[in-house]
Amino acid sequence: MGEMGILLAAATPGAESGSLEWAVFIAQKYAGMFLNATWTTLYVAVIGTIVGFLLGFLVGVINTSQVHPEDFILKRIFSKILRVIVMIYMEIFRDTPMIVQGMIIYYGLRQSNVEIAPVVAGILVTVLNTGAYMGETVRAGINSVDKGQEEGALAMGMSHVGAMIHVILPQAFRNVIPEMGNTFVNNLKMTSVLNVIGVSELFLMAKTAGGSYYKYYESYLVIAAIYLVLCFIFNRLFALLEKKLEGKSDYVLATEYLDNE
Amino acid sequence: MSDAIIKVESLRKSFGDHEVLKKIDFEIKKGEVICIIGSSGSGKSTLLRCINHLETPTEGEILFHDVPIKNTGRALSEYRTKVGMVFQSFNLFNNMTVFDNCMSGTKKVLHLEKEECKSRAITHLKQVGMAPYIHAKPSQLSGGQKQRVAIARALCMNPEVLLFDEPTSALDPEMVGEVLNVMKKLASEGLTMIIVTHEMEFAKNVSTRTIFMDDGYVVEDDIPQNLFTNPKNPRTREFLKRYMES
Repeated sequence: MGEMGILLAAATPGAESGSLEWAVFIAQKYAGMFLNATWTTLYVAVIGTIVGFLLGFLVGVINTSQVHPEDFILKRIFSKILRVIVMIYMEIFRDTPMIVQGMIIYYGLRQSNVEIAPVVAGILVTVLNTGAYMGETVRAGINSVDKGQEEGALAMGMSHVGAMIHVILPQAFRNVIPEMGNTFVNNLKMTSVLNVIGVSELFLMAKTAGGSYYKYYESYLVIAAIYLVLCFIFNRLFALLEKKLEGKSDYVLATEYLDNE
Repeated sequence: MSDAIIKVESLRKSFGDHEVLKKIDFEIKKGEVICIIGSSGSGKSTLLRCINHLETPTEGEILFHDVPIKNTGRALSEYRTKVGMVFQSFNLFNNMTVFDNCMSGTKKVLHLEKEECKSRAITHLKQVGMAPYIHAKPSQLSGGQKQRVAIARALCMNPEVLLFDEPTSALDPEMVGEVLNVMKKLASEGLTMIIVTHEMEFAKNVSTRTIFMDDGYVVEDDIPQNLFTNPKNPRTREFLKRYMES
């Protein structure tokens, strides 16, 4: 264990010690565990949210796509089926609690003899949840882009998909960044419900650590602080991203062309 | 084989029960500058939007070099690359700089070489006097500047016909002139154009043919010298009189 170990193992607080002392003690004693759990929480949230965003964009695009009555019949049928699937998916995941979804997916897969690690199931639940919510956000983001933008693109010969990729989605993306920040921070905190399927994230660690000294209050204070710091950092990062995408407020005149007016 | 670039045949367009265009027939030949005038709600803009199928005609046909245009698919996209459109509300892409706006079509639709896209963009931006602003975003420009960039963007596609949908209606009065001057220049260079406008002086001086529309009909289609000074139809006369008074 070395020097660190000696330092950490020092002084178990006594009966007269206050909560703060206990919290510091638990944080130090289980520092390694908390660190690992923070890492797990982070990557479930990050992977879950990023993949979830992609899914959300797909869902949003499907929900705002238009079919033309003169389009090829197979295209129309395919698009109709796709929309129904998306609708069912969104209803299911927005109308049931994430904690229940976690249980059903994890135990459901186990019962059908699919060996799935709790973390993988946790990420899957986060992805599906995020996708369902982001789908609506993206749809709103797309609809908030002026209709003329698409007309401008169509009028120069772009397809609907081309207009989406080059013109509308980049603008919609900017519009939904605040909501994406919300979703991400929310996911970071919602990973806590994944303790029920045994994902060794922060909540589960706090429960374990608290249990060994019967100091639950103090133990949860520790992870509250960790959540707070994490979310604070990510809120700032999203604010930065938003600012960055806004671009410069001024522009440089291309003076080399000035005399050609 | 006629020498018309675009031919509109028995075009009708309804929105629900409301028939906006009632059997429109006309054609445009190479080098013509057609101005379409008429009061608001007469169907001018709808006609223009039907020509490039932003609105789907309810009945009738748009022919491009005698080939009927379908409502969807590749053929429509290809047709639209040859028939440019300038909108009342500019519709510059807000996520791109002036330069990227002008290269969007050549790059992403025509898939031309990068150098060719750049040189076309610079050429046409110079033509409208907006080359110094290549690094600006649309939100940083005035209305007149935006519209000139929009015209340059349309020109980069080397269209056979350019459609203008009330290009100066959203502009402050002092900016109308700069846009009209650009359009005048294009007309003198022989570009084929269809222009929906409320600028009567412009229509009178620049168009090779003027069409007066009222209540979904083409009421009069004549050279401007006749239409403005000696209109045949009483409705045209009344419209022009109202216009001159105001």
